[in-house]
Amino acid sequence: MIMKLINTVLLIEDNLGDARLFREMLGEQDSHNIELTHVQCMGEAEVYLSQRAVDMILLDLGLPDAQGLGAIRRAHAAAPSVPLVVLTGLDDESMAKQALQEGAQDYLIKGQIEARGLLRALRYSTERKRLERLKDEFVSTVSHELRTPLTSISGSLRLLTSDAAGNLPRPMARLLAIAHTNSQRLVRLVNDILDIEKMEAGRVVFNFRRADVRSVVRQAIDANQGFAEDYGVRVRLEDGCIAADVRADPDRLLQVVTNLLSNAIKFSPADGEVVVAIEKKTDVVRITVRDHGPGVPIDFKPLIFEKFAQADAGNDRKKGGTGLGLSIVKQIVDRLGGEVGFADARDGGTIFHVQLPCWDHVASLVIDRDAKPDAVRLLLCEDDLEAALTLREQLRRVGFATDFAYSEADAWTCAAATQYRAILVDIHLPDGDGISLIVRLRELPQYRDTTIIVVSADPSRGRDDARSSKLNVLDWLSKPVDFDCLMRLLTQPAAGAASKRPRILHVDEDDLIARALGEIADVVTVNSIEAARRALMASDFDLAVLDQALAKGASPGLLPELRDSNGNVIPVVVFGANGTNSADEAQKRAALTESLTSIESLVATVRERLASRQRAYPEKSYA
Amino acid sequence: MPDIRILFVDDEPDIREVVDVSLCLDPEIKTRACASGADALVTAALWSPSLILLDIRMPLMDGLATLASLRENPRTSHIPVLFLTARMQSSEIEHYISLGAQGVLAKPFDPMTLAALVRSHLPGSAGRTF
Repeated sequence: MIMKLINTVLLIEDNLGDARLFREMLGEQDSHNIELTHVQCMGEAEVYLSQRAVDMILLDLGLPDAQGLGAIRRAHAAAPSVPLVVLTGLDDESMAKQALQEGAQDYLIKGQIEARGLLRALRYSTERKRLERLKDEFVSTVSHELRTPLTSISGSLRLLTSDAAGNLPRPMARLLAIAHTNSQRLVRLVNDILDIEKMEAGRVVFNFRRADVRSVVRQAIDANQGFAEDYGVRVRLEDGCIAADVRADPDRLLQVVTNLLSNAIKFSPADGEVVVAIEKKTDVVRITVRDHGPGVPIDFKPLIFEKFAQADAGNDRKKGGTGLGLSIVKQIVDRLGGEVGFADARDGGTIFHVQLPCWDHVASLVIDRDAKPDAVRLLLCEDDLEAALTLREQLRRVGFATDFAYSEADAWTCAAATQYRAILVDIHLPDGDGISLIVRLRELPQYRDTTIIVVSADPSRGRDDARSSKLNVLDWLSKPVDFDCLMRLLTQPAAGAASKRPRILHVDEDDLIARALGEIADVVTVNSIEAARRALMASDFDLAVLDQALAKGASPGLLPELRDSNGNVIPVVVFGANGTNSADEAQKRAALTESLTSIESLVATVRERLASRQRAYPEKSYA
Repeated sequence: MPDIRILFVDDEPDIREVVDVSLCLDPEIKTRACASGADALVTAALWSPSLILLDIRMPLMDGLATLASLRENPRTSHIPVLFLTARMQSSEIEHYISLGAQGVLAKPFDPMTLAALVRSHLPGSAGRTF
């Protein structure tokens, strides 16, 4: 067998001493030429993995920004095909066991590692990962291959057992019905196996949005009606169930309820009843499915969500189950951020329940209420609640308040209600691509120059969008966000941050001048004093260029407002075709004001003004 | 009312037969079958079907290549195409639709409802179902 060579290893470890030790150990084995890259936190690792491929990940389970199983999940999500060896403490071998179940290939106990053992673990996990991948591919291929003959078999049997085939002699009809039922079961089994395999390989994308539980439950009941009739079972939604919205992927939620229903139907006695109820609690919505079946045997309770687990194998096989339905339910509910469980019903039968985060609760998190009153407020447009909460927590520590928008529509409402200093936009939102949101925001005067940063799992997709070049997006960050990088972007001077070029507020109606000034600075041209005022409120400028005629009319009101957000006076250059002799207010600020008549001299003066301003405020260094 | 002509293309003879029986449960539907993409291009141009039911995974010329060729020929470019596939993943479905398919049906299909499903994808019908 050919062993895949390990050339590159990513070590995710916050303890520098341990990191040095690993480096030395791998160095001792230098004949193998392993290149070790060391990062100190998960955020950094995720960024690295988004850009480079590695052959192996060594992961410490006690990182500052990720611990335990959470760390494993994130590493796995960042590089699903890369073998993972976790590093645990001596007292934490139970964690190591869980780590293997979560998808790590091997573990090493800190303090007990020596060079040859380390290398053995690396080789072993590479091989193990390769075999896992082969297994997954095999399962997927076989399942697909099975469907082709199944299409002919189940199709033919269905046609035969239907009226279309005419009347068949009784025993023959009975045998064909058996064959048909079992071919259907085989189809379900193949579908379930594929579902499980996809979910375990992390290939299922969840589209979170506001989902109406009652309508999902009704769909599931409808879908199971025929199945219920076959078993002589009635399925109904409890009377008076209120509408309740949760945050979920409605298609996946439908799958959960459908599986719970078909399970309940199978275990119901003939003429039994299955009742679905929806309850709204403070933070969660609870869906319950109650049957009047024999109940879950006590020995089986701990195994119920395991794959291919069936209460009484002989019995359940008769029920036509695949043994995968509840396992799929569990996996989906976990991913939905919910909880699933079951209990004996008081008068016999079983009640399964699923709890999901209530939409109202999720919506109540939109405004960051816990931030300090003086915090700088940002808007984060992101539909992944967990990711949003993590980022909010990180930003809060450095003095930012972060409001959430889960969709473009939300973002639009928030932006209208609050003036944000910066907006972070995920370009994969449930109701749009984020780009159209930025286009619309940029049309608003108060957001024309606001810092906008795009955050996305695939930033190149939006960046290549033809519309993007005009959006003045400060940067396109890949997900998960490199927090240091984000901080650098957010703490740049708020104004002009987008290009690091000086910014000029140009109050005039003349395009020619705007174009000339555009050569040396970012120019915001407005054609009225009102518009100038709005522009000044929205962002900072380094210099104002006023048309003489407009300056005259404006002088009493506008000039005192010509200050940046730190209160520094913004120099003014007055430009007019008619000479400069009018003794207006602007001229009285002679030290800061010059009047010019030719565009060349205007540009030269502006250049010089900007240079001297930079000397005065060196923190505003222009690239 | 003119007949509805459905052309279906699948390299598996058994599936072709099941599809044929299923569609013919609807008395207004007339069918023809082809075993390869290349055959389908010729038959589609000569017979002008109302809709083509196209298997994706076929040897030599697969469903995607067949669709592309159908779209290039002015005599067949307007004919709606429904894919029939054993690989049913939502991301792939979106991709197929973006290539110009009218919709995607999963294998195994229910023979009792196949004709109605196909009808719902004909021009002028209410909408498409997946």
